[in-house]
Amino acid sequence: MSLENIDPVLCNGCGICVDSCMVDVIRMDEENEKAVIQYPDDCMSCYFCQQDCPEEAMYVSEVKHPPLFVAWG
Amino acid sequence: MSQERVIETDVLVIGGGIAGCFAAIKAKEQGAEVTLLDKGYVGNSGETPFAKHFGVFSPEFGHDLEGWMNQVSHVGEYMNNPEWTELTFKDSYARWQDMVDWGVKFYKYDDDEYVWWPPREPEEMAKYPMQSIRMYQRQHAKIYRTQALKTGVNIVDRVMVTDLLKQDDELAGAIGFTIDDQEIIIVKAKATIMTAGSAAFKPNGTPLHVITGDGEAMAYRVGAEITGKEWNDCHPSRAEFPAWQWSPNKDISLSKKDDYGGLPKKVNAEGDQISDGKTVTLWIEDVFEADAGRAPIYWQFGSGEAAYHNLVAGPEGQPRNPLDLEAEKDGKVRMVLGSSLGMSVHNTEGIWPTSTKCETKIPGLYAAGDSLGARTVGARYPNIGFSTAYCSSTGTRAGIAAAEYALQKKSPVLDEEEITRAKKELSAPIDRPGGFSPSWVTQALQNTMMPYWILYVKSEERMQSALTQIEFMRDRVVPKLSARDAHELRLAHETKNMVLSAEMKLRASLFRKESRGTHYREDYPLRDDNEWLAWVKIKEEDGEMTLSKEPIPEKWWPDQTIPYEERYPIRFPGE
Ligand SMILES: Cc1cc2nc3c(=O)[nH]c(=O)nc-3n(C[C@H](O)[C@H](O)[C@H](O)COP(=O)(O)OP(=O)(O)OC[C@H]3O[C@@H](n4cnc5c(N)ncnc54)[C@H](O)[C@@H]3O)c2cc1C
Ligand code: SF4
Ligand code: SF4
Repeated sequence: MSLENIDPVLCNGCGICVDSCMVDVIRMDEENEKAVIQYPDDCMSCYFCQQDCPEEAMYVSEVKHPPLFVAWG
Repeated sequence: MSQERVIETDVLVIGGGIAGCFAAIKAKEQGAEVTLLDKGYVGNSGETPFAKHFGVFSPEFGHDLEGWMNQVSHVGEYMNNPEWTELTFKDSYARWQDMVDWGVKFYKYDDDEYVWWPPREPEEMAKYPMQSIRMYQRQHAKIYRTQALKTGVNIVDRVMVTDLLKQDDELAGAIGFTIDDQEIIIVKAKATIMTAGSAAFKPNGTPLHVITGDGEAMAYRVGAEITGKEWNDCHPSRAEFPAWQWSPNKDISLSKKDDYGGLPKKVNAEGDQISDGKTVTLWIEDVFEADAGRAPIYWQFGSGEAAYHNLVAGPEGQPRNPLDLEAEKDGKVRMVLGSSLGMSVHNTEGIWPTSTKCETKIPGLYAAGDSLGARTVGARYPNIGFSTAYCSSTGTRAGIAAAEYALQKKSPVLDEEEITRAKKELSAPIDRPGGFSPSWVTQALQNTMMPYWILYVKSEERMQSALTQIEFMRDRVVPKLSARDAHELRLAHETKNMVLSAEMKLRASLFRKESRGTHYREDYPLRDDNEWLAWVKIKEEDGEMTLSKEPIPEKWWPDQTIPYEERYPIRFPGE
């Protein structure tokens, strides 16, 4: 699903990926100082975060499954 | 939303892509204090980081102005403003030199020649001479940020700007909020430059989800005029993975010209070639094939490995899964339209300028880049690379003019009532206890606008029916947009702006009762030079969206003595 995984073991907490993401998918978990996928539905698979991560901790895929469409939401 | 910060500046720039960065740097160089706000992070946001060709024109490279001018008018079916087209060409060399000075890298072959796109054969070059130099994606955008900071521009990232503020009839600043801690930001500015990019509907495939028409929507709400909404950008994406297509490519290595390959051919389901990859087309021929029942459409790659990497491989150059490997084996990739849904033709759509200094109808408001509708190109985009040249040229023009204007102005006094109204409007979705989620409304908007029979093959009755849906969204759904946090508040404002953009697109398309370029109406399949050598302008009057025609001066008309079919060599279905 777009940004699929941030490996918490590899992540060094540098926060670079937060600034890489223009659509604000990623935030830092303040407690354990790791990057988290906060708003996964908004990922547009641009790969910027994966390209910029110095620890190769992120995996982006080209596959996206948007939520099912309902009468209101 | 209780926290609040006020920023005072001479020049406010909204959006930090290539246009915004050039505007900010040039305004600062004139001696103005400059603040640059961006809802993303300047250097990583907007369309700019994806661009990989810069259209530099110079007789030094053997370029011929007349040939380039003809290409734009011919391909754009005479909907461009040649004065602006020429300005872009003439400015482009100086802007390219700025980029080189700042450290932007351009590709070269082993023999030290620049890598020009497209790599055309001499006989095609005679007909379509425009070219651009390949650059490294992303790297250049980061350099504009570095240069802006070096020049002393005050960059504030991750601020979503929601509205412009007026004092009497002049622009006095803007309001927005930080997406991290929900702080309201009020900027008092003597001059404001809108460089928030173009307008799309968060489509699948082209990474345009920040490009929600915020700039033109904000300008429209304070009385500016908008143009160019009836045209289409027609990028397809891969049918197997429609959510992903135009992410950055691998930096390819090119040692000699032959390595580059060319553009792919297009083939329909019956195996007929529908374009040869050389001849300039309208780009909407795919949809005519689909409408006739001849989808899927394939891109067929020749031997040029680089062309494949350039256009469809993953960012590491990888074919990513078995389907891709399958496609690569026979060089055929299945493509589907809609990946840039909502976006018009670059440099044609946006805020109407009233001078070549990028002024607008509102004193103190300037616009540049994709937010500026200077109609530098016409009803179809002439060649890749032109847009970055235009954005840097107009950014520079706007930056210099806005600084000059600001330096002789006093600080505006913002009207408290206006601020209270703007704050209420800004926080309404988060103040509401319930309502509709912005993501769901966006989905509803896409479902209305995406099917090919609304914006690609247009007709009066179908567009009217879509307009009925959009008006309902405008009146009954948008006022109930609801947000749980600042992230969703940003989405809510983007959604509101996209619904406005959809209304403009439908009304402009209904208004233009002819076919031309990327605007095809099956109920009016011919170009109509008598009635429609004109631009469409949209503005708000007494709360209503109104449209008008701005005639194109006769000196820029195509030669009417040339028979129609020669004047317009590309045929529409039903013509
Ligand atoms: C995949 C792709 C490839 C391309 N390739 C080329 C190419 O090779 N050559 C070429 O010339 N052109 C290319 N283009 C087009 C070109 O990139 C754009 O026309 C150009 O970059 C637009 O620049 P801009 O500064 O006007 O806007 P953008 O670069 O889009 O920047 C707009 C900025 O405004 C910010 N913003 C928007 N709304 C708000 C708001 N409400 N509040 C605060 N900030 C806001 C955004 O975050 C963004 O940073 C390409 C486009 C794409 C998508
Ligand atoms: S860029 Fe990589 S290492 Fe840095 S915070 Fe993000 S995931 Fe962690
Ligand atoms: S792939 Fe792009 S959109 Fe998705 S999380 Fe990474 S930077 Fe954000």
